[in-house]
Amino acid sequence: MNVFTAEHVSCVVPSPDGDRMIFSGLSFAIRTGEIVDLVGPSGSGKSSLLTAFALLNPHASGSFALEGRDSGDFTPQRWRREVAYLPQKPILPGETVADAIRLPYTLAVRADGDAPASGVPSSAAGTPTRRMGLVGRFARLFRDDDAKARDLLPEGRIRATLDAMGCDDIDLTRAPHDLSGGQAARVSLARTLLTGPKVLLADEVDAGLDDENADRVASIMADAATHGMAIVRIRHRPPDGRATRVVTLADGALSGSETGDAAAPNGARKLRRTRNA
Amino acid sequence: MSGNAYDIDVWGLVVALAMVAVAAGVSGLMRMGIGRTLLWSACRALLQLCAMGFVIGYVIRANNVFLVFAMIGVMLVAAVQITLSRAKGVPKGLAGPVLLSLTITMLLMITLVTELVVRPHPWYAPQLVVPLTGMLLGNTVSALAVGLSRFYESMDERRDEIDTMLALGATAWEAARPSIVSSIRLGLLPTMATLASCGIVTIPGMMAGQVIAGGDPLEAAKYQFVVFAAISALTLVADGLIMAMVYRTCFTADDQFRPRDMRGTR
Repeated sequence: MNVFTAEHVSCVVPSPDGDRMIFSGLSFAIRTGEIVDLVGPSGSGKSSLLTAFALLNPHASGSFALEGRDSGDFTPQRWRREVAYLPQKPILPGETVADAIRLPYTLAVRADGDAPASGVPSSAAGTPTRRMGLVGRFARLFRDDDAKARDLLPEGRIRATLDAMGCDDIDLTRAPHDLSGGQAARVSLARTLLTGPKVLLADEVDAGLDDENADRVASIMADAATHGMAIVRIRHRPPDGRATRVVTLADGALSGSETGDAAAPNGARKLRRTRNA
Repeated sequence: MSGNAYDIDVWGLVVALAMVAVAAGVSGLMRMGIGRTLLWSACRALLQLCAMGFVIGYVIRANNVFLVFAMIGVMLVAAVQITLSRAKGVPKGLAGPVLLSLTITMLLMITLVTELVVRPHPWYAPQLVVPLTGMLLGNTVSALAVGLSRFYESMDERRDEIDTMLALGATAWEAARPSIVSSIRLGLLPTMATLASCGIVTIPGMMAGQVIAGGDPLEAAKYQFVVFAAISALTLVADGLIMAMVYRTCFTADDQFRPRDMRGTR
Protein backbone atom coordinates (compact mmCIF):
# COMPACT_ATOMS: atom_id res chain seq x y z
CA MET A 1 0.00 0.00 0.00
CA ASN A 2 1.14 3.50 -0.74
CA VAL A 3 1.95 5.41 2.40
CA PHE A 4 2.01 8.74 0.60
CA THR A 5 0.34 9.90 -2.61
CA ALA A 6 0.40 13.22 -4.41
CA GLU A 7 -1.78 14.25 -7.33
CA HIS A 8 -2.18 17.31 -9.53
CA VAL A 9 0.91 18.92 -8.06
CA SER A 10 1.67 22.27 -9.66
CA CYS A 11 4.15 25.00 -8.92
CA VAL A 12 3.87 28.49 -10.34
CA VAL A 13 6.50 31.02 -9.35
CA PRO A 14 5.62 34.67 -9.79
CA SER A 15 8.25 36.78 -11.50
CA PRO A 16 8.30 40.37 -12.70
CA ASP A 17 7.62 39.32 -16.31
CA GLY A 18 4.65 37.08 -15.67
CA ASP A 19 4.14 33.88 -13.72
CA ARG A 20 6.48 31.01 -14.49
CA MET A 21 5.17 27.45 -14.42
CA ILE A 22 7.79 25.10 -12.95
CA PHE A 23 5.62 21.98 -13.28
CA SER A 24 1.96 21.10 -13.23
CA GLY A 25 -0.28 18.08 -12.92
CA LEU A 26 2.41 15.82 -11.46
CA SER A 27 1.51 12.62 -9.62
CA PHE A 28 3.68 10.64 -7.26
CA ALA A 29 3.31 7.79 -4.81
CA ILE A 30 5.65 5.94 -2.48
CA ARG A 31 5.27 2.80 -0.38
CA THR A 32 6.45 1.98 3.10
CA GLY A 33 10.14 1.24 3.25
CA GLU A 34 10.83 2.45 -0.28
CA ILE A 35 13.76 4.69 -1.17
CA VAL A 36 13.05 6.75 -4.28
CA ASP A 37 15.78 8.84 -5.87
CA LEU A 38 14.54 12.04 -7.48
CA VAL A 39 16.95 13.23 -10.16
CA GLY A 40 16.87 15.81 -12.90
CA PRO A 41 18.65 18.90 -14.17
CA SER A 42 19.21 21.94 -11.94
CA GLY A 43 16.23 24.24 -11.85
CA SER A 44 13.79 21.52 -12.87
CA GLY A 45 11.99 21.99 -9.56
CA LYS A 46 13.06 18.98 -7.52
CA SER A 47 13.26 20.95 -4.29
CA SER A 48 9.98 22.70 -5.10
CA LEU A 49 8.34 19.28 -5.48
CA LEU A 50 9.59 18.04 -2.13
CA THR A 51 8.65 21.25 -0.29
CA ALA A 52 5.23 20.97 -1.95
CA PHE A 53 4.88 17.44 -0.49
CA ALA A 54 5.61 18.82 2.99
CA LEU A 55 3.12 21.69 2.45
CA LEU A 56 6.00 24.11 2.82
CA ASN A 57 5.90 25.66 -0.64
CA PRO A 58 3.71 28.76 -0.89
CA HIS A 59 3.84 28.61 -4.70
CA ALA A 60 2.69 25.00 -5.02
CA SER A 61 -0.69 23.34 -4.98
CA GLY A 62 -1.96 19.80 -5.25
CA SER A 63 -3.76 17.11 -3.32
CA PHE A 64 -1.77 14.95 -0.96
CA ALA A 65 -2.70 11.98 1.16
CA LEU A 66 -0.96 10.05 3.92
CA GLU A 67 -2.19 6.48 4.41
CA GLY A 68 -5.34 7.44 2.55
CA ARG A 69 -6.06 10.52 4.65
CA ASP A 70 -6.17 13.83 2.85
CA SER A 71 -3.69 16.52 3.92
CA GLY A 72 -6.67 18.79 4.59
CA ASP A 73 -7.51 16.60 7.60
CA PHE A 74 -4.21 17.52 9.24
CA THR A 75 -2.97 20.78 10.67
CA PRO A 76 0.16 21.85 8.76
CA GLN A 77 2.20 20.95 11.87
CA ARG A 78 0.75 17.43 12.18
CA TRP A 79 1.26 16.86 8.49
CA ARG A 80 4.89 17.96 8.61
CA ARG A 81 5.51 15.75 11.62
CA GLU A 82 4.68 12.73 9.44
CA VAL A 83 5.94 14.05 6.09
CA ALA A 84 9.26 15.54 7.07
CA TYR A 85 11.25 17.70 4.70
CA LEU A 86 14.99 17.72 5.37
CA PRO A 87 16.62 20.82 3.87
CA GLN A 88 19.93 20.65 2.09
CA LYS A 89 21.56 23.15 4.42
CA PRO A 90 21.89 21.81 7.98
CA ILE A 91 20.56 24.51 10.33
CA LEU A 92 21.40 23.63 13.92
CA PRO A 93 20.28 26.36 16.34
CA GLY A 94 21.23 26.08 20.00
CA GLU A 95 24.26 26.11 22.29
CA THR A 96 25.17 22.47 21.85
CA VAL A 97 24.60 19.63 19.42
CA ALA A 98 22.21 18.11 21.96
CA ASP A 99 20.13 21.32 21.98
CA ALA A 100 19.97 21.30 18.20
CA ILE A 101 18.75 17.71 18.18
CA ARG A 102 16.12 18.51 20.81
CA LEU A 103 14.69 21.41 18.80
CA PRO A 104 11.73 19.38 17.42
CA TYR A 105 10.78 18.40 20.95
CA THR A 106 10.49 22.02 22.08
CA LEU A 107 7.59 22.44 19.65
CA ALA A 108 3.91 22.32 20.54
CA VAL A 109 3.17 19.64 17.94
CA ARG A 110 5.14 17.17 20.07
CA ALA A 111 4.03 18.59 23.42
CA ASP A 112 1.60 15.70 23.91
CA GLY A 113 4.69 13.82 25.00
CA ASP A 114 4.95 10.88 22.66
CA ALA A 115 8.47 9.59 23.10
CA PRO A 116 10.88 9.83 20.19
CA ALA A 117 10.71 6.92 17.80
CA SER A 118 13.88 4.94 17.39
CA GLY A 119 13.90 4.58 13.65
CA VAL A 120 10.40 3.16 13.57
CA PRO A 121 7.77 5.59 12.32
CA SER A 122 5.44 6.45 15.15
CA SER A 123 1.85 5.31 14.92
CA ALA A 124 0.56 8.65 16.12
CA ALA A 125 -2.50 9.63 14.17
CA GLY A 126 -2.69 13.13 12.79
CA THR A 127 -5.74 14.29 14.64
CA PRO A 128 -6.40 17.92 13.84
CA THR A 129 -5.76 20.15 16.82
CA ARG A 130 -7.02 23.59 17.53
CA ARG A 131 -4.74 26.46 16.68
CA MET A 132 -3.21 28.03 19.75
CA GLY A 133 -5.07 31.07 20.99
CA LEU A 134 -3.43 34.39 21.72
CA VAL A 135 -3.18 33.57 25.42
CA GLY A 136 -1.58 30.24 24.69
CA ARG A 137 0.99 31.89 22.47
CA PHE A 138 1.84 34.45 25.11
CA ALA A 139 2.20 31.71 27.68
CA ARG A 140 4.58 29.86 25.39
CA LEU A 141 6.66 32.99 24.98
CA PHE A 142 7.66 32.73 28.61
CA ARG A 143 7.63 28.99 29.20
CA ASP A 144 10.78 26.96 29.33
CA ASP A 145 10.29 24.43 26.58
CA ASP A 146 13.93 23.37 26.77
CA ALA A 147 13.46 21.69 30.13
CA LYS A 148 10.53 19.74 28.76
CA ALA A 149 12.52 18.71 25.71
CA ARG A 150 15.30 17.45 27.98
CA ASP A 151 12.76 15.20 29.72
CA LEU A 152 11.41 13.90 26.44
CA LEU A 153 14.80 13.31 24.92
CA PRO A 154 17.51 12.76 27.55
CA GLU A 155 21.17 12.95 26.65
CA GLY A 156 21.66 9.20 26.94
CA ARG A 157 18.89 8.57 24.48
CA ILE A 158 20.42 10.89 21.91
CA ARG A 159 23.84 9.35 22.46
CA ALA A 160 22.54 5.82 21.94
CA THR A 161 20.67 6.77 18.79
CA LEU A 162 23.62 8.65 17.31
CA ASP A 163 25.92 5.72 18.08
CA ALA A 164 23.50 3.33 16.41
CA MET A 165 23.59 5.60 13.37
CA GLY A 166 27.35 5.46 13.24
CA CYS A 167 27.72 8.99 14.58
CA ASP A 168 29.93 8.08 17.56
CA ASP A 169 32.42 10.76 16.43
CA ILE A 170 29.99 13.54 17.35
CA ASP A 171 30.31 15.11 20.80
CA LEU A 172 26.89 16.22 22.06
CA THR A 173 28.30 19.03 24.19
CA ARG A 174 30.06 20.73 21.31
CA ALA A 175 28.77 23.91 19.73
CA PRO A 176 26.98 23.08 16.46
CA HIS A 177 29.06 25.52 14.41
CA ASP A 178 32.23 23.61 15.36
CA LEU A 179 31.01 20.52 13.52
CA SER A 180 32.46 19.58 10.17
CA GLY A 181 30.19 19.66 7.12
CA GLY A 182 29.71 15.92 7.19
CA GLN A 183 28.99 15.85 10.91
CA ALA A 184 26.48 18.72 10.61
CA ALA A 185 24.69 16.91 7.78
CA ARG A 186 24.46 13.74 9.86
CA VAL A 187 23.24 15.61 12.98
CA SER A 188 20.57 17.32 10.89
CA LEU A 189 19.50 13.96 9.47
CA ALA A 190 19.54 12.32 12.91
CA ARG A 191 17.38 15.12 14.31
CA THR A 192 14.67 14.51 11.72
CA LEU A 193 14.94 10.71 11.93
CA LEU A 194 14.54 10.83 15.73
CA THR A 195 11.14 12.44 15.25
CA GLY A 196 10.06 9.29 13.42
CA PRO A 197 8.26 10.64 10.34
CA LYS A 198 6.45 8.23 8.03
CA VAL A 199 7.87 9.93 4.96
CA LEU A 200 11.31 11.55 4.77
CA LEU A 201 11.96 14.04 1.98
CA ALA A 202 15.74 14.46 1.87
CA ASP A 203 16.81 17.40 -0.25
CA GLU A 204 20.32 16.60 -1.44
CA VAL A 205 21.65 16.13 2.07
CA ASP A 206 24.84 14.54 0.73
CA ALA A 207 25.77 17.54 -1.42
CA GLY A 208 29.16 18.92 -0.52
CA LEU A 209 30.13 15.83 1.44
CA ASP A 210 33.05 13.58 0.63
CA ASP A 211 32.32 10.05 -0.55
CA GLU A 212 32.84 8.53 2.88
CA ASN A 213 30.40 10.90 4.60
CA ALA A 214 27.90 10.62 1.75
CA ASP A 215 27.98 6.86 2.18
CA ARG A 216 27.42 7.15 5.92
CA VAL A 217 24.43 9.45 5.37
CA ALA A 218 23.04 7.02 2.79
CA SER A 219 23.38 4.01 5.05
CA ILE A 220 21.66 5.83 7.94
CA MET A 221 18.71 6.48 5.65
CA ALA A 222 18.74 2.94 4.28
CA ASP A 223 18.54 1.66 7.83
CA ALA A 224 15.54 3.90 8.54
CA ALA A 225 13.88 2.53 5.39
CA THR A 226 14.26 -1.05 6.58
CA HIS A 227 12.26 0.04 9.64
CA GLY A 228 9.46 1.16 7.36
CA MET A 229 10.20 4.80 6.61
CA ALA A 230 9.42 5.92 3.05
CA ILE A 231 12.26 8.08 1.76
CA VAL A 232 12.55 10.38 -1.25
CA ARG A 233 16.10 11.53 -1.94
CA ILE A 234 17.19 14.29 -4.27
CA ARG A 235 20.62 13.29 -5.46
CA HIS A 236 23.25 14.50 -7.86
CA ARG A 237 25.75 11.74 -7.14
CA PRO A 238 25.98 8.57 -9.16
CA PRO A 239 23.49 5.86 -8.06
CA ASP A 240 24.60 4.14 -4.85
CA GLY A 241 22.44 1.05 -5.25
CA ARG A 242 20.29 1.86 -2.25
CA ALA A 243 17.31 3.25 -4.15
CA THR A 244 14.39 1.00 -4.98
CA ARG A 245 13.66 3.18 -8.01
CA VAL A 246 14.71 6.39 -9.69
CA VAL A 247 12.34 9.11 -10.79
CA THR A 248 13.40 11.92 -13.11
CA LEU A 249 11.94 15.41 -13.07
CA ALA A 250 12.72 17.23 -16.31
CA ASP A 251 10.86 19.77 -18.42
CA GLY A 252 8.01 19.82 -15.94
CA ALA A 253 7.31 16.08 -16.13
CA LEU A 254 8.04 13.16 -13.82
CA SER A 255 9.21 9.99 -15.53
CA GLY A 256 10.89 6.68 -14.95
CA SER A 257 9.88 4.13 -12.40
CA GLU A 258 11.68 0.86 -12.05
CA THR A 259 9.28 -0.92 -9.77
CA GLY A 260 6.21 1.21 -10.38
CA ASP A 261 2.62 0.31 -9.70
CA ALA A 262 -0.64 1.69 -11.01
CA ALA A 263 -0.59 4.72 -8.75
CA ALA A 264 3.07 5.42 -9.35
CA PRO A 265 4.30 8.28 -11.53
CA ASN A 266 2.45 8.51 -14.79
CA GLY A 267 5.44 9.16 -16.91
CA ALA A 268 5.80 11.19 -20.01
CA ARG A 269 2.75 13.37 -19.74
CA LYS A 270 3.80 16.36 -21.75
CA LEU A 271 3.10 19.51 -19.85
CA ARG A 272 2.74 22.97 -21.19
CA ARG A 273 4.90 25.63 -19.74
CA THR A 274 4.19 29.25 -20.27
CA ARG A 275 7.83 30.19 -20.23
CA ASN A 276 11.12 28.39 -20.33
CA ALA A 277 12.76 27.71 -17.02
CA MET B 1 -0.62 79.64 32.67
CA SER B 2 2.48 81.68 33.30
CA GLY B 3 3.74 79.29 35.94
CA ASN B 4 7.37 79.55 34.94
CA ALA B 5 9.57 81.13 37.54
CA TYR B 6 11.69 82.64 34.80
CA ASP B 7 9.91 83.40 31.52
CA ILE B 8 11.70 83.39 28.20
CA ASP B 9 11.10 86.46 26.08
CA VAL B 10 11.36 86.87 22.32
CA TRP B 11 15.06 87.73 22.55
CA GLY B 12 15.64 84.41 24.26
CA LEU B 13 14.25 82.62 21.24
CA VAL B 14 16.37 84.76 18.94
CA VAL B 15 19.51 83.84 20.91
CA ALA B 16 18.60 80.15 20.75
CA LEU B 17 18.05 80.34 17.00
CA ALA B 18 21.29 82.29 16.58
CA MET B 19 23.13 79.47 18.34
CA VAL B 20 21.74 77.00 15.83
CA ALA B 21 22.62 79.37 13.00
CA VAL B 22 26.22 79.60 14.20
CA ALA B 23 26.44 75.80 14.48
CA ALA B 24 24.99 75.51 10.99
CA GLY B 25 27.51 78.05 9.73
CA VAL B 26 30.41 76.14 11.26
CA SER B 27 29.19 72.87 9.77
CA GLY B 28 28.86 74.65 6.41
CA LEU B 29 32.50 75.79 6.65
CA MET B 30 33.55 72.24 7.48
CA ARG B 31 31.46 70.97 4.56
CA MET B 32 29.58 68.50 6.70
CA GLY B 33 26.49 69.09 4.63
CA ILE B 34 24.04 69.18 7.50
CA GLY B 35 23.97 72.92 8.17
CA ARG B 36 20.90 73.64 6.07
CA THR B 37 18.98 70.68 7.51
CA LEU B 38 19.91 71.69 11.04
CA LEU B 39 18.69 75.24 10.59
CA TRP B 40 15.52 74.14 8.84
CA SER B 41 14.79 71.56 11.55
CA ALA B 42 15.34 74.14 14.29
CA CYS B 43 12.88 76.55 12.66
CA ARG B 44 10.37 73.74 12.22
CA ALA B 45 10.78 72.65 15.82
CA LEU B 46 10.20 76.22 17.02
CA LEU B 47 7.01 76.52 14.99
CA GLN B 48 5.73 73.05 15.97
CA LEU B 49 6.41 73.60 19.66
CA CYS B 50 4.80 77.02 19.69
CA ALA B 51 1.78 75.63 17.84
CA MET B 52 1.61 72.76 20.31
CA GLY B 53 1.87 75.17 23.23
CA PHE B 54 -0.87 77.31 21.75
CA VAL B 55 -3.17 74.32 21.13
CA ILE B 56 -2.57 72.76 24.54
CA GLY B 57 -3.17 76.17 26.12
CA TYR B 58 -6.49 76.38 24.31
CA VAL B 59 -7.49 72.83 25.29
CA ILE B 60 -6.59 73.45 28.93
CA ARG B 61 -8.56 76.69 29.04
CA ALA B 62 -11.56 75.10 27.31
CA ASN B 63 -11.38 72.21 29.81
CA ASN B 64 -13.73 70.12 27.66
CA VAL B 65 -13.61 66.32 27.73
CA PHE B 66 -14.41 65.98 24.01
CA LEU B 67 -11.75 68.45 23.04
CA VAL B 68 -9.17 66.52 25.10
CA PHE B 69 -9.99 63.24 23.40
CA ALA B 70 -10.18 64.84 19.95
CA MET B 71 -6.67 66.12 20.51
CA ILE B 72 -5.48 62.69 21.68
CA GLY B 73 -7.10 61.19 18.56
CA VAL B 74 -5.15 63.55 16.32
CA MET B 75 -1.93 62.69 18.18
CA LEU B 76 -2.62 58.97 17.72
CA VAL B 77 -3.16 59.30 13.98
CA ALA B 78 0.03 61.33 13.64
CA ALA B 79 1.87 58.73 15.73
CA VAL B 80 0.74 55.93 13.38
CA GLN B 81 1.94 57.90 10.38
CA ILE B 82 5.34 58.60 11.98
CA THR B 83 5.75 54.98 13.10
CA LEU B 84 5.09 53.64 9.62
CA SER B 85 7.32 56.18 7.92
CA ARG B 86 10.20 55.35 10.30
CA ALA B 87 9.85 51.55 10.12
CA LYS B 88 11.89 50.18 7.23
CA GLY B 89 10.98 47.15 5.15
CA VAL B 90 7.55 46.54 6.61
CA PRO B 91 4.61 45.39 4.50
CA LYS B 92 1.61 47.55 3.66
CA GLY B 93 -1.51 47.49 5.73
CA LEU B 94 0.04 47.80 9.19
CA ALA B 95 -1.75 51.08 10.01
CA GLY B 96 -4.61 49.23 11.70
CA PRO B 97 -2.49 47.09 14.03
CA VAL B 98 -0.23 50.05 14.91
CA LEU B 99 -3.21 52.29 15.67
CA LEU B 100 -4.80 49.54 17.76
CA SER B 101 -1.69 48.87 19.82
CA LEU B 102 -1.07 52.60 20.38
CA THR B 103 -4.69 53.16 21.37
CA ILE B 104 -4.71 50.26 23.83
CA THR B 105 -1.51 51.39 25.51
CA MET B 106 -2.73 55.00 25.58
CA LEU B 107 -5.99 53.94 27.27
CA LEU B 108 -4.03 51.83 29.77
CA MET B 109 -1.82 54.83 30.48
CA ILE B 110 -4.77 57.11 31.14
CA THR B 111 -6.55 54.51 33.24
CA LEU B 112 -3.60 53.48 35.37
CA VAL B 113 -1.45 56.58 35.71
CA THR B 114 -4.07 59.30 35.59
CA GLU B 115 -7.02 57.70 37.34
CA LEU B 116 -5.23 55.31 39.70
CA VAL B 117 -2.09 57.21 40.67
CA VAL B 118 -2.69 60.94 40.18
CA ARG B 119 -6.52 61.08 40.45
CA PRO B 120 -7.01 64.66 39.13
CA HIS B 121 -10.20 66.76 39.14
CA PRO B 122 -11.81 66.71 36.66
CA TRP B 123 -10.82 63.16 35.75
CA TYR B 124 -9.79 64.23 32.23
CA ALA B 125 -7.62 67.11 33.43
CA PRO B 126 -6.09 68.30 30.14
CA GLN B 127 -2.84 69.65 31.61
CA LEU B 128 -2.13 66.10 32.84
CA VAL B 129 -3.66 63.81 30.21
CA VAL B 130 -2.35 65.55 27.10
CA PRO B 131 1.34 65.81 28.06
CA LEU B 132 1.31 62.26 29.48
CA THR B 133 -0.12 60.90 26.23
CA GLY B 134 2.46 62.86 24.30
CA MET B 135 5.34 61.42 26.32
CA LEU B 136 3.97 57.89 26.06
CA LEU B 137 3.45 58.16 22.32
CA GLY B 138 6.90 59.63 21.79
CA ASN B 139 8.41 56.57 23.42
CA THR B 140 6.17 53.87 21.93
CA VAL B 141 6.44 55.33 18.43
CA SER B 142 10.18 54.90 18.34
CA ALA B 143 10.01 51.50 20.08
CA LEU B 144 7.45 50.26 17.57
CA ALA B 145 9.36 51.63 14.59
CA VAL B 146 12.59 49.98 15.75
CA GLY B 147 10.80 46.79 16.75
CA LEU B 148 8.93 46.42 13.46
CA SER B 149 12.00 47.15 11.33
CA ARG B 150 14.05 44.67 13.33
CA PHE B 151 11.33 42.00 13.22
CA TYR B 152 11.06 41.91 9.43
CA GLU B 153 14.82 42.19 9.00
CA SER B 154 15.34 39.30 11.41
CA MET B 155 12.68 37.14 9.75
CA ASP B 156 14.46 37.55 6.43
CA GLU B 157 17.86 36.80 7.98
CA ARG B 158 16.48 33.69 9.68
CA ARG B 159 14.81 32.43 6.54
CA ASP B 160 16.65 29.09 6.44
CA GLU B 161 16.15 28.58 10.16
CA ILE B 162 12.44 29.32 9.85
CA ASP B 163 12.08 26.88 6.97
CA THR B 164 13.87 24.22 9.00
CA MET B 165 11.69 24.85 12.04
CA LEU B 166 8.49 24.75 9.99
CA ALA B 167 9.67 21.51 8.38
CA LEU B 168 10.13 20.06 11.87
CA GLY B 169 6.54 20.93 12.72
CA ALA B 170 6.86 24.39 14.29
CA THR B 171 3.84 26.66 14.27
CA ALA B 172 4.19 30.10 12.73
CA TRP B 173 4.43 31.56 16.23
CA GLU B 174 7.16 29.14 17.27
CA ALA B 175 9.15 29.83 14.12
CA ALA B 176 8.78 33.60 14.56
CA ARG B 177 9.43 33.65 18.29
CA PRO B 178 13.21 34.29 18.23
CA SER B 179 12.66 37.26 15.91
CA ILE B 180 9.83 38.58 18.07
CA VAL B 181 11.94 38.36 21.21
CA SER B 182 14.96 40.03 19.66
CA SER B 183 12.93 42.86 18.14
CA ILE B 184 11.05 43.60 21.36
CA ARG B 185 14.37 43.60 23.20
CA LEU B 186 15.87 46.04 20.72
CA GLY B 187 12.78 48.27 20.84
CA LEU B 188 13.01 48.47 24.64
CA LEU B 189 16.76 49.11 24.79
CA PRO B 190 16.59 52.94 24.80
CA THR B 191 13.83 52.91 27.40
CA MET B 192 15.82 50.70 29.72
CA ALA B 193 18.96 52.74 29.17
CA THR B 194 17.05 55.88 30.16
CA LEU B 195 15.70 54.16 33.27
CA ALA B 196 19.18 53.09 34.32
CA SER B 197 20.93 56.41 33.70
CA CYS B 198 18.32 58.86 34.95
CA GLY B 199 19.15 60.63 38.17
CA ILE B 200 22.84 59.85 37.85
CA VAL B 201 23.83 61.08 34.43
CA THR B 202 20.74 62.91 33.28
CA ILE B 203 17.88 64.90 34.72
CA PRO B 204 14.96 63.73 32.59
CA GLY B 205 13.10 66.38 30.61
CA MET B 206 9.89 66.26 32.57
CA MET B 207 11.59 66.59 35.95
CA ALA B 208 13.89 69.32 34.65
CA GLY B 209 10.84 71.20 33.41
CA GLN B 210 9.10 71.03 36.74
CA VAL B 211 12.23 72.09 38.62
CA ILE B 212 12.86 75.04 36.31
CA ALA B 213 9.20 76.03 36.65
CA GLY B 214 9.81 76.28 40.39
CA GLY B 215 8.35 72.95 41.50
CA ASP B 216 9.61 70.90 44.44
CA PRO B 217 12.42 68.65 43.10
CA LEU B 218 11.29 65.67 45.19
CA GLU B 219 7.72 65.99 43.92
CA ALA B 220 9.12 66.27 40.41
CA ALA B 221 11.18 63.14 40.96
CA LYS B 222 8.14 61.17 42.10
CA TYR B 223 6.19 62.30 39.05
CA GLN B 224 9.07 61.43 36.82
CA PHE B 225 9.37 57.94 38.26
CA VAL B 226 5.68 57.18 37.85
CA VAL B 227 5.82 58.35 34.26
CA PHE B 228 9.00 56.39 33.50
CA ALA B 229 7.66 53.22 35.06
CA ALA B 230 4.41 53.49 33.16
CA ILE B 231 6.16 54.30 29.90
CA SER B 232 8.58 51.39 30.09
CA ALA B 233 5.88 48.89 31.03
CA LEU B 234 3.50 50.14 28.38
CA THR B 235 6.18 50.23 25.70
CA LEU B 236 6.67 46.52 26.31
CA VAL B 237 2.91 46.02 26.08
CA ALA B 238 2.72 48.01 22.83
CA ASP B 239 5.62 46.06 21.31
CA GLY B 240 4.17 42.72 22.39
CA LEU B 241 0.74 43.61 21.02
CA ILE B 242 2.05 44.75 17.66
CA MET B 243 4.17 41.60 17.25
CA ALA B 244 1.24 39.35 18.11
CA MET B 245 -0.80 41.19 15.50
CA VAL B 246 1.72 41.33 12.65
CA TYR B 247 3.89 38.19 12.84
CA ARG B 248 1.43 36.29 10.66
CA THR B 249 2.18 38.63 7.74
CA CYS B 250 5.37 36.57 7.32
CA PHE B 251 3.37 33.37 6.86
CA THR B 252 0.68 32.06 4.54
CA ALA B 253 -2.61 30.60 5.79
CA ASP B 254 -0.99 27.14 5.67
CA ASP B 255 1.88 28.23 7.94
CA GLN B 256 4.39 28.52 5.11
CA PHE B 257 7.06 31.18 5.21
CA ARG B 258 6.05 34.12 3.07
CA PRO B 259 9.20 35.69 1.68
CA ARG B 260 9.69 39.44 1.47
CA ASP B 261 8.60 39.76 -2.17
CA MET B 262 5.26 38.12 -1.40
CA ARG B 263 4.48 40.44 1.52
CA GLY B 264 3.92 43.57 -0.52
CA THR B 265 6.68 45.50 1.17
CA ARG B 266 6.30 49.23 0.89
